Amino acid sequence: MNPLRVAVAVMRKDLVSEWRTREMVPALAQFIVLALLIGNFGFQIDSRNAPSIAPGILWLALVFAGLVAFGRTFAAEREQASLEAMLMTPASPVAIFAGKALAACAVLVICEAVMLPALTLFFGIPFSGDVVLAVLLATVGMAALGCIFAAIVARVRARELLLPLLTIPLWIPFIIAGGQAVQSAMGLPGSYDQAIGLLIDFDILFVVLTSLAARFVLDD
Amino acid sequence: MNRYEKAAAAAVALMLVAGAAIFLYAPTDWLQGPVQRIFYLHVSSAIAAYGCFTVVLLGGLIFLRTENYAADRWARAGALVGVIFTTVTLVMGSLWAKKVWGSFWVWDARLTATLVLWIIYAGYLLVRRLAEPGRQAARIAAAVGIFGFVDVPVVHFSVTWWVTQHPGPVIVNDALPPQMLATFLFTMFCTLVLAAVMVAIRYRIETLLDARHVLIEPARVVTGHQPEAAR
Amino acid sequence: MSIVVADGITHWFGRELALEGVDLTLDTGEHMAVLGENGAGKTTLLRILATALRPTAGSLQIAGLNAFREKRRLRHYIGYVAHAPGLYPALTASENLRFFCDLQGVPGSRVDEVLDIVGLRAIAMRRSSELSRGMQQRVALARAILHDPKLLILDEPDASLGSDAADLLGEIMRDRSVVLATHDHALANRLCPRTLELRHGRSHGTATRLHVVR
Repeated sequence: MNPLRVAVAVMRKDLVSEWRTREMVPALAQFIVLALLIGNFGFQIDSRNAPSIAPGILWLALVFAGLVAFGRTFAAEREQASLEAMLMTPASPVAIFAGKALAACAVLVICEAVMLPALTLFFGIPFSGDVVLAVLLATVGMAALGCIFAAIVARVRARELLLPLLTIPLWIPFIIAGGQAVQSAMGLPGSYDQAIGLLIDFDILFVVLTSLAARFVLDD
Repeated sequence: MNRYEKAAAAAVALMLVAGAAIFLYAPTDWLQGPVQRIFYLHVSSAIAAYGCFTVVLLGGLIFLRTENYAADRWARAGALVGVIFTTVTLVMGSLWAKKVWGSFWVWDARLTATLVLWIIYAGYLLVRRLAEPGRQAARIAAAVGIFGFVDVPVVHFSVTWWVTQHPGPVIVNDALPPQMLATFLFTMFCTLVLAAVMVAIRYRIETLLDARHVLIEPARVVTGHQPEAAR
Repeated sequence: MSIVVADGITHWFGRELALEGVDLTLDTGEHMAVLGENGAGKTTLLRILATALRPTAGSLQIAGLNAFREKRRLRHYIGYVAHAPGLYPALTASENLRFFCDLQGVPGSRVDEVLDIVGLRAIAMRRSSELSRGMQQRVALARAILHDPKLLILDEPDASLGSDAADLLGEIMRDRSVVLATHDHALANRLCPRTLELRHGRSHGTATRLHVVR
């Protein structure tokens, strides 16, 4: 069995399903806009303090949108009883997991394409490639971790409750490094290059670790 | 008294001796005053907690390789006791912080990393509670334990990095006077004994619970009639 | 020669005993029905036989291999139809099957072949959310034979299939070894020479057709 073929097939299946039903992306985009709205009401944002508050709102919105996106991707398979059908084939569980993680990551990236311009629009902060790069790099590692834990809690009662409890602590390194990168990209002190370097290190570490764990989490 | 009660009594006695050493033998810190005495148990229980979480990691890894439920029971016992010692560390640390730094909580690297540690392993216990007991629960819990253990140094490193980006309180540890060092080493020893006894007792409890769930090794299940404990 | 040898299969869900010391042998090409009330343990037994679930105790050999240790090698050997069809609602019937061709590593041309067998060629392009329960069940049957398995494990496949259930199942089961769970004694009689009756997770013996009928 070619693992690449399996991963691509799983990812394409998830993305085609999403394209046809258009469930996740509009809901998540709306969710993100609402989070920005709450940030605005909660913080009294003006042009002076926007660069120090906007990064925080960005990461809060991203974390919660990510939890919904990754939780949904395995919960849907469970509800349809299709996860078992996939696992009953000779396809490698790691390849299946990779396909699902890639699809969930793509959905979140599309939502980020809504969030970053909205952040500029609402809070008047500069939109830069540096911010986009930091957010994308963080998304990769967060997707790997988020999906492995979504797969774990899919077999447990009260999964909506458990997913954030397990996932957010493990996302903290990404939030720290990503938060630092975005802050310095928005003109606050701190080293941007060092933060990006850390994000890349964390991405590599957790992508490798989740691939190793996927076999034990999905199989059986 | 059975051997668990004896071990528990011995551990408690040791802790009382350690308490005497902390309050009677160790000198009062000239800068911080009596509150510095928190240090001995605070650091000891942090080390005991790390030890417990190492048991969780090893138990999980061994279970994944050998499917031996005893390893999983050690992991469960270690997680519970580790969370208790992490709680002790956090509570004592924030009492100390209130006196020395003026607030119960500061976003210091060690504090933040310890808080994350607590959250991860409290999550581990929740997984154990919510998952149907059995092979699957043991496997996913092993994965949580492994991720948690790997994440702790990463969190610690990234928070330290973050703290140096944002200057904040830093604990400076001078070399300890010999009497303080002796007290600390003795307290650490007693705390580790206490933790080991607690893990052993919890392991025994988990074994009894497993016998009710029939999670003993398959070879020991006699097919054809219900095992005694499950009736 | 026996293709399936299950010995002392016992399974606990937490504190619930689902199966207790069930023994079963299936010869190559043999069809066996598993009968029993709801909750008798039929689904649990079938999931174990399909290697989707590992029992608490007991041993299982399929095609001479230890089914717990070597289940990955047995995947191409077993076709399993679970209780729920497990289709992706937004994909068409043929896309669902096409996807599983990729996972099974069989050419996409198998899709049309299996759709012909279950008589669904005409609705291949309809989304599975628009299909009736019976049609979904047919797609699930088609998916189980994509890779032409030697051993079929069917969990109440007759549910919602309609009047020609027996003909369709007979067609699919031909030249394969089959374990089939059902409520329908008449169907079991027609398709399976041998039956295994489960009551409260225990085997109440196997019977040949004669015993069941008379």
